[in-house]
Parts: sequence; C-alpha cells; structure tokens
Amino acid sequence: MDVEEKVKQIINIILEKHGMSPLNSLEYNISMRNDLGMDSLDLAELTVRIEDEFGVDIFEDGMVDTVQQILDKINKR
Amino acid sequence: MGLFLYHDGQETTYEQLINDINKQTLLKRYVKKSDPYEILKDIVVSLVAEERIILLDSDFTEEEVKNLGLSVEELNEEVVLKKDKISSCDELLAKIQKSDNRWEIVLYTSGTTGRPKRVAHKLDSITRGTKVSEKYRENVWAFAYNPTHFAGLQVFFQAFYNQNPMIYIFDVNRKEVENVLRRYNVTHISATPTFYRSILPYIREVVPSVERATMGGEKYDKNLEAQLLKVFPNADVRNVYASTEAGSIFSAKGDIFSISPRIADKVRFAEDGELLIHKSLLGESDTFQLDEDWYRTGDIVEMIDESHFKFVSRKTEMINIGGYKVNPHEVEDEIKKIDGVVDVIVKARSNRITGNILVAEVKINDGIDKREKEKEITKILEKRLQSWKIPRIFTFVDNIELTRTGKKVRK
Repeated sequence: MDVEEKVKQIINIILEKHGMSPLNSLEYNISMRNDLGMDSLDLAELTVRIEDEFGVDIFEDGMVDTVQQILDKINKR
Repeated sequence: MGLFLYHDGQETTYEQLINDINKQTLLKRYVKKSDPYEILKDIVVSLVAEERIILLDSDFTEEEVKNLGLSVEELNEEVVLKKDKISSCDELLAKIQKSDNRWEIVLYTSGTTGRPKRVAHKLDSITRGTKVSEKYRENVWAFAYNPTHFAGLQVFFQAFYNQNPMIYIFDVNRKEVENVLRRYNVTHISATPTFYRSILPYIREVVPSVERATMGGEKYDKNLEAQLLKVFPNADVRNVYASTEAGSIFSAKGDIFSISPRIADKVRFAEDGELLIHKSLLGESDTFQLDEDWYRTGDIVEMIDESHFKFVSRKTEMINIGGYKVNPHEVEDEIKKIDGVVDVIVKARSNRITGNILVAEVKINDGIDKREKEKEITKILEKRLQSWKIPRIFTFVDNIELTRTGKKVRK
C-alpha cells in the first residue's frame, strides 16, 4: 500500500472516532486542525500511528498541520 | 468596576458578579457545570457564605461520579445561603480574606491506587502562592486551565484578589486565541505545555503585551520555551512545579528549580532522590499516604546544590497526558468489565503533542473480530471515562507480558 493510502487510512481511523465521514481522497491542503477539527489528543494519536507505520516523528522539529506537510516529513525519511 | 471574565464573546464585569452573588439564595454544594462563569461565581458565593464547595469536572461520566462514592442525595444537596449584601469589590475581597473563614473547597484528583482521591483545601492553602499588591493591579490574565482543577483555581485567586480581568481561552476555538490576547492586552498566561503547543500554530504575529508566560503540569520543554519567546518577545517564561496536593511550590527558569528559603525546612529528599513535602504544605485528605509527616511526591529529582534541583523521572505509575494525570489501573478496571476481554494492560506512548497518550494491549476471547471489538471498547469507555483517559490505540495480543513476580510489565 502506498504512503498516501496509508496516511488516509490513519486519518480516517481518527475521524471515525468522532463520527465524521471518512476522506475518500487525500487533498494536500487539508488542515488537520482547521478542516478536520483535530484536537491535541487526535494529533497525538496521529503522530504515534504515523511513527509506528513509517518510523518518522512528524512533530520532531516543529508543527505540521496539512496533509502535504505530513507527507513531506514521511518522504524525507 | 472592571471586567471580571471574558468567555465566548461574553463579558462579565465585577459589578455584575456582585449583583449575581447578591441575588443568589441557593447553592448546589456539588458543582458540576461547564460554564466557567457559573463555576467561578459559585466559588465566590461559597466564599462569601463560608460554605464548603465541591468541584467536579463537567465531563465526569456517571460511572466516574459513581466511583467517587457519592450518593445521589449528596450530589443534589442544596444549601440555603446566609450572607450579607455586598456593595463593592473591596468589600467582597475584605469579607473573603478575613482570617477565620470556615470555607473549604474539595477537588478530586487521580489517585495512585485506582479511584480518584478527594483533596480539601482551606483558603490559606489554596492562596499560599497568591500575591496581592498595587504592582499586580493592572495585570490581565489569560485563563487557560480547567477551572475545576487546582492550577485553574490558582490563576483564579491570583486574578481575583488583584481584581484583574480573566480572559478564558481554555476550551475555545484556537483560532480566536490570538485575537483575544491582543484585544484585551493580556499580560499573564499560565498553561500546560500541551496547551501552548495547541495555540502556537495559530499565533501569526507577536503579542507584545504578554509579560509572563508560565508553564507547568508536565515535563519541561526547552524547544517550546524558545517558540513561546518568538510570539511573546517581552515575556519572562517560567516553569512551575505544582500538584493538586500542594499547589504550586517551586518555580524555575529553564529546568532548574529553586527552593525558596520560606519553605526550605518543608522540603526533603529521600535516599533514592524522591522529593518529599512536609504535610503542612498540603491540603487535607484521608488518602494521602504520609511517611511520618512527609508526603512522597513520586518525583525523583537530582540535587544541584542545597537549594536547587532538577526533575529526573516519576516513581509512580501515573501517566501524564497533556497535564492530566491518569492512573492506568482505573482505565484497566473499566476495560476488564467489558464482555470478551480476558486481560489488559494500559501503557503510555510518548509523543511531542501531549507528552503521552494511552495505548492498551488487550487479550480477548478467541473468535472475536478485533476491529469491531476495538470500536466497541472505545464506545463503552466514552460513556465511562473522561476523554483523555481512553486509550487511543488498541493492540490485541495473545498474552499480556508478566514479570517473574507476576506483576504486569508497564514499560
């Protein structure tokens, strides 16, 4: 499974907990906080799941918020 | 009289507060409300009437309230207030601060043995760190803690005693925080590192009015301090050590805490480096386990010299989630009650957003769909536990790892 598909799945696991409908496609400019309404606990879960999957701590050197920023961190590994 | 509280577009002045207090004739002794003005007003009412008041988190589930051991009658207890009419803020404060106030406030905090423990504070223990003088008169506080928790109460008393405005930013839309900080020229903020991390992405330009930014309740984060100085260039950034048992006791620049001479004889270090605090600095609780007259904090520290130390680690199993301490046993107990669950261990997983989140390893009966079970467990826990106590990731295992003594390994 490619990186984008996996990231989408991880985001959808979190959205599902809030009863939100899953993303069908991954748009690069979607903001985790503003568009998806993620709070600190959601972002913490997101970063742990991504670390488990890709071995990258996406918040290691500052804040990331959009799909594009997350993919950049993962692809830089 | 000036502004008392700003919350969610609403301004309430000290004058309105006094009017509301004068009008109020009944007080529910157990406060379980979500509106910060209502909570703070009830606290002031209880102070004026010298009545005991108990604060419960508004998001406590029925299950959690039941676990506190409170009966329905207790929870619904109403007190008929006997109090004099108050005409000014100075009169209000003078009345509250008079020496023999019988008032008491009770908070519930995560206990080390499973159930939340009850801690009662008198006015003098809760205001020990409060400073009042002309110097503080113009301060404007951002209120960034849950008002039913100790840290929130400390901010409240500091602001209230100096008749300062409080700008409530705790659970508001993060995008509005920068605006309100600017609009009200906020000078003081006290919050957890997790809270600061959640607002920083939304602060686009510097907020020069902030003179003091205090962080506490979680591990010190040097990187965060640097980021705070970028948006609050005029701020003195401080780190405080505080607990529900004793309130804020030590303050630090960076990660080295100093012990003020005022309390030097009330602080000790055990042989293994555990920080001990004399009982005279604590609130009252039946559940404190004292070693003679000393309270074991569970924090292992390293002495730098006689009056300075650094935190090294935690001795207890309590897990800090964004400033909230969770007892993994409480969470495990709830998960074990669920059908099909054989055994469970709840652990911390570290991350840079909230310090830790909870993860659970669960052993379930054969033949159960794991993904469905995870959803079911999460749903059930949502009804029984506050959101930060719910594990975010479940792993299904064949066996829970045990040590030779039969104790679960909580790495």
